[in-house]
Amino acid sequence: MLNNDLHFKENNLIFLKLVLFLSISITLLVLDKNLLISNKIRSNMSHLIEPIYKLAELPVNIYSKFSEYSHNKNQLIEENKRLRKKILVQSGLIQKIPSLKEENKRLKKLLDSQGSDKSSKILIAELIKINLSPFSNKIVINKGKNDNLFLGQTVIDSKGVLGQISELNNDFSIVTLITDPGHALLGINPRTDKKIVISGTGDNRILHAKFISLNEDVVEGDYLITSGLDNIFPEGYLIGEITKISRNKDEDFLSVKVSPSSSLSFNREVMLLW
Amino acid sequence: MVIINKIHITTSILLLFGIILNLIPLPEILASFRPPILMLILIYWSLAYPKQINLTYAFITGLIMDILLIYPLGFNALTYVITIYLILLYYPQIRLQSNWNKMFSLLIILIPYFLMCTMVNGLLKIDYNIYNVILSILISIIIWPLLFNMLRFIRQKYTS
Repeated sequence: MLNNDLHFKENNLIFLKLVLFLSISITLLVLDKNLLISNKIRSNMSHLIEPIYKLAELPVNIYSKFSEYSHNKNQLIEENKRLRKKILVQSGLIQKIPSLKEENKRLKKLLDSQGSDKSSKILIAELIKINLSPFSNKIVINKGKNDNLFLGQTVIDSKGVLGQISELNNDFSIVTLITDPGHALLGINPRTDKKIVISGTGDNRILHAKFISLNEDVVEGDYLITSGLDNIFPEGYLIGEITKISRNKDEDFLSVKVSPSSSLSFNREVMLLW
Repeated sequence: MVIINKIHITTSILLLFGIILNLIPLPEILASFRPPILMLILIYWSLAYPKQINLTYAFITGLIMDILLIYPLGFNALTYVITIYLILLYYPQIRLQSNWNKMFSLLIILIPYFLMCTMVNGLLKIDYNIYNVILSILISIIIWPLLFNMLRFIRQKYTS
């Protein structure tokens, strides 16, 4: 009898705990978006968190180190040749840039418009390869406040825009990709000079171009670049290519799918722009 | 008292291990239906020592997961607390069941967890594939006997 009574009391206690914890976590869920509690915790405890990330990254790093060593000489020579060719081609292309810049300046002068001729600095950051929740479109990079990064800084890779920094810590920072469902940016279609809002879907192979009216001139295969009008992304970086346009009579706008040009899931290194 | 301390220490170490296992990157094909290993470890320990490993553990591990994996704060804490509460309600029955039966009860206990995950994903407007979720449940049930025996081995070695 006594035992039963004790068990009953214990159950009551557990239920109380359940109610307490549930209410705390629901409050946190509601408040976190405005108060950014988790950001603050992460930035205050970054010394503790970074080693854990490093530890989790270790197996992959060991594997990649191992596969580096297991390359044989022929493969390395082959790769070296390929990279040399690539550099040759690219430096050939770069040669034209100064003259193009001059021409651009001249044309802008003719049009009486002030050109934004910012010189940009680039910093290469490495990804910390950890598994975040499979549906969150965020990545962690190994540069932070100590390298003078700032919130909202643009992150690109060799093929296009990747995203922007959404959280800064001392030694690592978190990048929200352009494919995040909560992210949108203002792009421009260079063929027609029309501005287009491009938002993420959560799937890292698809972006949505929104609010394009039914009669607007868009074609599959059009490239979209950043417009520079959102004051976050500098002008002229590649966002993606329009892959599918579907007209639905019931809706006011076209539904346009864009495939991002940056390789969002295969990156090792990213570039930060100033 | 010494044994209770041992239980707490062993569980904390294993949970830390589980968190790191959760963080280790997998190829993208596998990553979308990886089983919630930390959840399974937590379930095992609360089945074994429901008096010591209770809701507080679930809540704190959930919060740590939220902070490390950049979930909305409180999301994992919520789901873990609810799942461990189910375990605390039914552990006397589950303990007596045969191995096959345990797998089935695990299925029933994990379903609310996955339902909540999909619900929150829906609220946050995140696309997800329902087949991946179902596969993830199935995989966690399939690996359960293996995990169970491994953890039981650890438990018998270090906490008694």
